[in-house]
Amino acid sequence: MLRQSIERYTAEHYTFEGRWAALKSPRAYSEQAWSDYGHFGWLALRLPQESGGVAAGVRTTAPLMEAVGARLLLEPILASAIVGTGLILRRASADQKAQLLPKLADGTLKVAFAHQETLNAFSEDAISSEYRGGAVHGSKVAVLHADCANRLIVSARKRDVGGTVSLYIVDAVARGLRRQRFRLLDGRGAANLSFDGVEAEPLNASGAIDADQAAIAAALEEAIVASCSEALGAIRALNAATNQYLKSRKQFGRPIGANQALQHRMVEMHLLEQEVRALTLAAQRALSELEVGRTRIISGARAFTCSAARRIAAEAVQMHGGIGVSDELDVSHYYRRLMVLGTLFGNRECHFGRFAATCEAIGH
Amino acid sequence: MSLEQWQRAERLRVEIQEFCRSGMPSDILRKSSRHLMLNKDEYVRWMRALQSRGWAVGHWPREHGGLDWSALERFVFEDELARAGCPWVIPFGVKYVGPVIYTFGTEPQKRRFLPPIAATDQWWAQGYSEPGAGSDLAALRTAAELHGDHYIVNGQKCWTTYAQWADWMFCLVRTARDERVQNGISFLLIDLRSPGVTIRPVRTMDLCHHVNEVWLDNVRVPVENRVGEEGAGWKLAKFLLANERTYGAGVGEAWFALARLKTLAADMSCGGARLISNSGFHRRIDELELRVVALEALSYQALADMMSGAESSAEASMLKLRASEVYQDLIETTVDALGYAGIAYDPGTLHGEGPPPLGPDDAGGILRYHLYNRAATIYGGSSEIQRNIIAKSALGLQP
Repeated sequence: MLRQSIERYTAEHYTFEGRWAALKSPRAYSEQAWSDYGHFGWLALRLPQESGGVAAGVRTTAPLMEAVGARLLLEPILASAIVGTGLILRRASADQKAQLLPKLADGTLKVAFAHQETLNAFSEDAISSEYRGGAVHGSKVAVLHADCANRLIVSARKRDVGGTVSLYIVDAVARGLRRQRFRLLDGRGAANLSFDGVEAEPLNASGAIDADQAAIAAALEEAIVASCSEALGAIRALNAATNQYLKSRKQFGRPIGANQALQHRMVEMHLLEQEVRALTLAAQRALSELEVGRTRIISGARAFTCSAARRIAAEAVQMHGGIGVSDELDVSHYYRRLMVLGTLFGNRECHFGRFAATCEAIGH
Repeated sequence: MSLEQWQRAERLRVEIQEFCRSGMPSDILRKSSRHLMLNKDEYVRWMRALQSRGWAVGHWPREHGGLDWSALERFVFEDELARAGCPWVIPFGVKYVGPVIYTFGTEPQKRRFLPPIAATDQWWAQGYSEPGAGSDLAALRTAAELHGDHYIVNGQKCWTTYAQWADWMFCLVRTARDERVQNGISFLLIDLRSPGVTIRPVRTMDLCHHVNEVWLDNVRVPVENRVGEEGAGWKLAKFLLANERTYGAGVGEAWFALARLKTLAADMSCGGARLISNSGFHRRIDELELRVVALEALSYQALADMMSGAESSAEASMLKLRASEVYQDLIETTVDALGYAGIAYDPGTLHGEGPPPLGPDDAGGILRYHLYNRAATIYGGSSEIQRNIIAKSALGLQP
């Protein structure tokens, strides 16, 4: 039901041709589409009913994330509706929720999670930003959609409690906050942030001393699975485009897809897509159902998806030939989107390492 | 190859190394070694700096102003420049159309065109591909009809590199319909200032402007601008493509990229350590180095065969395949090493003004080149076409 309405809306209102205006606008996304998503309730899938949501489980967002990949949506769905919202749901107090959730639901509030501090995508990032005297000091890099967010959720070490990493919310135009905005390879906005004593409010639901740290881990897990779903959507669309091109492009008097060498390569791409789909669905289930062995499934899915996405994107460009390299066709846009997805929330090596650590030692 | 040929090439290697240290315009090297976009003026200065030593046309025969380089010297020339991070030697004039003109052209054509090509007084573009004729180049449809002493040319060329800067375009056109599509193709030199020529920019996936569509609408081309006999253009086209595939820069570019990958892996941090100390990543780099060593060995073996006359027609295809594929993997691994700097992209910083949004000052150029270089396995005969050539000519396999 949700899947059908998302597919219908995006097919009608988010065509590749129509998307250019949003891509080229200074905002780098479509304000109209964003407000439509809010209107349809797609930004509130995870919210409790009293905040205008449907209190759905973490898996419900999968069709939405697949559409983000399949239609190359530019709006801050992952940053705000999945990660930012996930952190607020887990760690905001009742008062904070009452204030923030309704605005997240209708899209008037956009949040981004400012967490990454170094360029390292190969392992979990160390946090050195600090919270002291009611203010955040430090810097963050390449924060997805921090260019357009109204509020930022910031991870920082709390000095007076032994340096535990905790979560704070700051206004995106607060004094002492510098935003260096730029575009990612796929055209989505991001920003580097520097906090020079920026007034910040702790996300202060009661909980254990490491509750924020646990919430970060859980929200990042959710983001990793969401990025698998997004990659799956992009891979499926890209394979469909390549397959169609093999049938329609004629050289030497026949469709290029009549060449067995190309047929076998296309079959390989299809197999990879099926594997990515199966692993992504397993990761979605693990997110809501598994306690033990989650990391194995989720990081395994992520590592496999990164490798498959890289091969599929390269083969799509290669089999399209010259037109695959042009910016005018969607193929190169999928290529760049999949490059971005291969780095956000840890690259292949990062997740392969986590997976490998779960493999049983040989000889035991 | 003889000892004397080898010694000559080694002397040239030393001269080129000296040029890269002190003769090379440093502003240009600063940009090219960071994979930034050079403008036309910079490329012209670069080509003229080479030609001030006679090197831009070193591979031409002496009678046409060249230095009679052996295949080995030609290789060493491009190899050393690429190792030092110099720009590519713009091939369209000196490497592609020049040899066609001195091999197949008339005396007046040689006198008219060769000197400005050698001096880079004219900028040339290559009018080969068409929307319906990519891998199947002989399917080209741009038509030239002879009316008196002029051809009237109509059609469309695509992926035309630097046509926005070009004065001239060498162009494959159809002058007759024949059952065998390779027949009836002719080789014309077209003045791009002629009425009826329209050039439209095409942005590639690095968001930069390298290539164009060139529309030809009743363009008048004097018959004396045809090179070779009418209908004999396919022979010239194949001669030129064989030159296009001699890919001397491939080995040097690979060593340059590998060296950068190593310094980057030593500089970037990875969870409290250096990236190079990540054993998985270290192994990827070592595997790449072995492939570069193999590429270099294959290149020198091909040169030895070529110079002893035992060359097989598949060698150029093998080298192009291996060089382009190894390079793609090298630069992809370099992008990986950039971590989050490998996904931040501001094309406005690619012309040499200002740093990229994140990472070292060549991060934007590395990304740009990674993206644009996807085309290396497509242009000049795609990897698929090269494999067909090897299957047929080295292995006797027919479709």
